Amino acid sequence: MLRILLVTDTDKPIGELREALARLGYDMLPEAAAPHTLQKVVERERPDVVIIDTESPSRDTLEHLAVMNETAPRPVLMFSHDANQALIRSAVDAGVTAYTAEGLSPEKLAPVLEVALARFAHEEKLRQRLAKAERELDDRKTIDRAKRLLMERGKLSEHDAYATLRKRAMDAGVRLADIARRVIDAADSSR
Amino acid sequence: MNIAPPSGDTPEKTHLRIGFVALSDAAPLVAAKVLEFGHRHGLTLELCRQPSWAAVRDKLLSGEIDCAHALYGLVYGIELGIGGPRDAMAVLMVLNRNGQAVTLSTQLARALDEQGSLKAALATLGRPPVFAQTFPTGTHALWLYYWLAAQGVHPREDIESVVIPPPQMVDALERGLLDGFCAGEPWHAVAESRGAGETVVATSQIWPNHPEKVLACRSEFAQRYPATARALVRTMLEACRWVDAPEHRDDISAWLAKSDALDVPRELIAPRLTGRDGGKRFARPPLPVAFFDGGAVNYPRVAEGRWFLAQYRRWGLLRESDALAKDDEAIAERINRTALYRDAAAMVDVPAPSSDETPTEVFCDGAVWR
Repeated sequence: MLRILLVTDTDKPIGELREALARLGYDMLPEAAAPHTLQKVVERERPDVVIIDTESPSRDTLEHLAVMNETAPRPVLMFSHDANQALIRSAVDAGVTAYTAEGLSPEKLAPVLEVALARFAHEEKLRQRLAKAERELDDRKTIDRAKRLLMERGKLSEHDAYATLRKRAMDAGVRLADIARRVIDAADSSR
Repeated sequence: MNIAPPSGDTPEKTHLRIGFVALSDAAPLVAAKVLEFGHRHGLTLELCRQPSWAAVRDKLLSGEIDCAHALYGLVYGIELGIGGPRDAMAVLMVLNRNGQAVTLSTQLARALDEQGSLKAALATLGRPPVFAQTFPTGTHALWLYYWLAAQGVHPREDIESVVIPPPQMVDALERGLLDGFCAGEPWHAVAESRGAGETVVATSQIWPNHPEKVLACRSEFAQRYPATARALVRTMLEACRWVDAPEHRDDISAWLAKSDALDVPRELIAPRLTGRDGGKRFARPPLPVAFFDGGAVNYPRVAEGRWFLAQYRRWGLLRESDALAKDDEAIAERINRTALYRDAAAMVDVPAPSSDETPTEVFCDGAVWR
């Protein structure tokens, strides 16, 4: 059974892979976060695979182990001259990478990495959707505020206030929310 | 302002993503971006800060970044596939020389004063000493190993060598997890300011004017986009010249201090970047970091590349049996793009050496490398 170590020292929820991988029957080792404990844990526990965020600052600690210690896990990108360029690229894109014990074939590693990648692709999609929703909500609030300002100051109807904003946005060639922000900023600074 | 490339050497690719690691010697990249030195050569630079040297390597190989501010040794490590993926690489130019150091814990620095030799000072610990550096095939590992060996301390047998991300070195030193470390600035200045350790040697005292960071890309990139590579070398030569002017090093310290670069107070960056101060143990500061020096800094000498290969053999990182690593001269000639550098330098009137001969510098153990 493959023994897997998850390193969780960045914002990405690498730790959440624990359950999914455990369900697939992998042997999950206790977490190790800090770089100075990471070296000790790897030397003591001898994991077959280490899964780590590509953006983790601890990665160089694993690189050092791979070079200095023949039994330490090595970067999975070792396989880059074999076949799986696409897998590597998507691993880098998704923000996850793995280090594996020497002799562990890419075929054995593939399901592990795929679980990680699927998990992160999903995560990233959710994150983007949330960010978009937040941005839209924020825009709508801004536009409403600018509209009310115009209504109060210019004694305009709601419809006319909106039409004024839209015309200014079209004339300036910018988004409605951007014009609304300018209206609010101008009102704030003239207060 | 004339925005056309002066030579008509039009870049094939004009938008470049450039990786860098937050260190004081990333100064030329930061200056090149802040002042947009690339525009005159038809380039737009996008700086991409990287959290580790492994990330720099992976993103160079995956094409996510085009070029990078890289440890000299990192590039050679990839070319040879030491402990990781192998790919044909190119060193376009040297970005700086000197400017790194070794700091010992306060306790060990005191023991060094009392005992008079590093070997005796290490013996007072009563356990294997722990030294940190930044990447297995990188420059800091090699400066540290060379310095230890020059004092009779074997870096593979007498100490425990670990890698810790530079921003965490000072913390590890304070908590007693480390006895010393070799890395770039400003982390040595930070260690002294927090009373965690003392800088005992500058790397310019180990190998005066040693090459440090280089401008690196994949060999395929240099072949596919030669005019872009030349334009980038011209851009970075101008940035290095700008940063090297003493009056600009205070400006660049302020830019480096920002949170999207080093996020370290300017007061800790400027003294060692300007060479005004080398640490409290130095009555006279050692030779500081150099970025240009009339162009003497930047030529990627083949002999210097051979030095890295020799050191890999010395410490067992490269074995004689490795078929790819037979002819050191050929390997270094393949990686260091001296012809491309000469062409680019000539276009911006930066003198290149007339031959590839290396100036004679005496190392800390009295050796000379040719």
